[in-house]
Amino acid sequence: MRPFLALDTATDHIAVAIGDLDRPGAVIQADDFRAPRAANTVVLTAVERLVRAEGLEMCDIVAVVSGRGPGSFTGVRIGVATAKGLAHGLGVFACGVGTLDAVASRVIADGLVGVVGDAMRQEVYPALFRIRDGRARRLTSDRVTRPELAAAEWEALGEPLTLTGWGLTKHGALFGAVLGDDVRVAEPHLWVPDGASLIAAAWAGEGSGSLAALAGLGAAEAFRAAHPASLLPVYTRLSDAEEAERRAGGGATGMAAGGVAGPGGGGAP
Amino acid sequence: MTAHDVPAVLAIESASFPAPWNEALFRDELVRSDRVWKVAAAADRVLGFGGVMIIGDEAHLMDIAVDPSERSAGVARELIWALASEATARRVRRMTLEVAESNRAALDLYASCGFDVGGRRVGYYPEAGEDALVLWSRPLAPQVRAMGAARSGGDLVLAIETSCDETAASVMRGGREELSSVVASQVDFHARFGGVVPEIASRKHTEAVVSVVDEALAAAGIGFGDLHALAVTQGPGLVGALVVGLAYAKGLALATGLPLVGVNHLEGHIYAARLIDPDLEPPLIALLVSGGHTMLVHVPAWGRYEVLGRTLDDAAGEAFDKVAKLLGLGYPGGPVISRLAAEGDPASIPFPRAMMRSGSLDTSLSGLKTAVIQYVERERAAGRALRIPDIAASFQAAVVDVQVAKTESAAEALGVGTVVLAGGVAANASLRDGLREALARRGIGLTVPPLGLCTDNASMIAAAAHDRIAAGRFLGISADAISGLRLDSRS
Repeated sequence: MRPFLALDTATDHIAVAIGDLDRPGAVIQADDFRAPRAANTVVLTAVERLVRAEGLEMCDIVAVVSGRGPGSFTGVRIGVATAKGLAHGLGVFACGVGTLDAVASRVIADGLVGVVGDAMRQEVYPALFRIRDGRARRLTSDRVTRPELAAAEWEALGEPLTLTGWGLTKHGALFGAVLGDDVRVAEPHLWVPDGASLIAAAWAGEGSGSLAALAGLGAAEAFRAAHPASLLPVYTRLSDAEEAERRAGGGATGMAAGGVAGPGGGGAP
Repeated sequence: MTAHDVPAVLAIESASFPAPWNEALFRDELVRSDRVWKVAAAADRVLGFGGVMIIGDEAHLMDIAVDPSERSAGVARELIWALASEATARRVRRMTLEVAESNRAALDLYASCGFDVGGRRVGYYPEAGEDALVLWSRPLAPQVRAMGAARSGGDLVLAIETSCDETAASVMRGGREELSSVVASQVDFHARFGGVVPEIASRKHTEAVVSVVDEALAAAGIGFGDLHALAVTQGPGLVGALVVGLAYAKGLALATGLPLVGVNHLEGHIYAARLIDPDLEPPLIALLVSGGHTMLVHVPAWGRYEVLGRTLDDAAGEAFDKVAKLLGLGYPGGPVISRLAAEGDPASIPFPRAMMRSGSLDTSLSGLKTAVIQYVERERAAGRALRIPDIAASFQAAVVDVQVAKTESAAEALGVGTVVLAGGVAANASLRDGLREALARRGIGLTVPPLGLCTDNASMIAAAAHDRIAAGRFLGISADAISGLRLDSRS
């Protein structure tokens, strides 16, 4: 076994798990619980509990997976910074997973899934997935928009859809009204990531930075390829100061990888 | 503890608990091989005692009590570490205990030794109908080892600072010898907004923290395995920024098994002075002036602080920034105003010196700021060109005069012979010179760290951490950032 840690603190619901790099999809230990605005005080004790429950030592851990959001800015940063510290201290690779991907992975039935994350300020993080053979494949990129716009786009697809995501607490009625009869709503307890769905979403990732690709590398090579310094949150929005500047027509036009547009009209990563 | 100590122990036990252990219980304990009992004594008098039961690799704290007249003097903390030290020699990894949820003093003590709440026993104290919290220590051996290294002056500490807009890391030996110091400033990302944007600061810390730590380790020529402890700024500061450094540092601590120390950022500024003057000893007065803070602090001994006075409104650095903005001089305001002031006449405009005769050591800068605004408006309305150097010089003189006068009063009132100037505004030459002259007239010494140690850095955090380690003050992995952390809080 090559045990790895997974954690997500992007929502009010904390998810932690231990997976195995040698067994794609396997869940060795998992826990999830509500902890509004308390991620920084509870996530590491939850991690340590899992490690001990499995009879492992921290030095047995060979990788750290962290939810990157989008979600609460501070919540996402707590998870990412914690994962950076864990992976850096252990000298192991750090791999990001989309928080919305983890939510989509809790839906079992094949078909189209619309995940609605709460972006606050009457906005949402919408993303579409297709579940096939129990695996969630992402169809749209992370972004932030108004709920009525996301709902209208999904309605225009003309295909039955499963709705999920913690944004439904505020915006479920609106999505239901726009999407009408073609919608099925997931049980509310499935609207947030859990440990198993974090692991499933991590394994569903594709490309050179994915867990599956990194699991096939040697430890030193994987550490270089997915160094803890490179793990960054997904924000989708600039800071208010930079958004205001952009609306006023000045300043930067894009967002660098770190989530800041930067001085001098930057925006290049 | 020996049988000889039992009468004194019984007296303290009875004075401490509603249902005290009796003599037979203590005598029975002393002969058991799976127990460790320790007394703290001074001049043959027992001040306190404590005992653990060893089960496998766990030490269960059974009883700990301090003579009521000796409390709050660190006796209980010394007992905990004496027990931990002997327990680790017997292959114990952690200590655990139950404590009543209402026992604030005990919970604070254990939290400051790095214990985390690991669970709850409902109705554990049936007579009071109260729950017990189950506390767990961090791994004891690394903590005992770090304390030993700090007390002998050989501790290697990595410190991390992210309280505002600088991501910083430093490696320090013995709290005084800086092996490396790296500061990644974000000032370019905030400058065009005229001040620090908290969300940008948090994002840049997240992006930079790992690289900054790697750079500090590489510059010191060491790895995590060479360290005795990690330190991090716990507060005060921007909460979102503090959280990044703390979450990262806690992750590092859990991963490496290294003890973690939480440092008060303001305490760090005061310790910066000890880095350039290793023989600096309290009692001293610290004038702490920065973009976020302006206060006078009495330091009777290292690690003890009494805030004597503080600004009631703007911090000094904030006032410089606001006046610079008003005059169209850009951000940050301190350096540019200081430079222009050198060309101006400080006596040309009689700006007010607030609270000079208030009898308190508090200060206020909002009236001065308003006076500058009114002056500028008046001159503009009269169609006169602004003499920017004169405004800068007169404004700066008003700030400096008040700070110097209050510092003199504080030093005189407390009969202290040493003053430390700390914080980013200590870079201001006029403040340094004014303070040095005024204090020299009274025979009071002034220590001013070089600029790089006055602005935010992690060396000062490492310097303060050294004393905390020696005293056995650690953080657990459930510790949170405290944006309003007070300098005089006893944590």
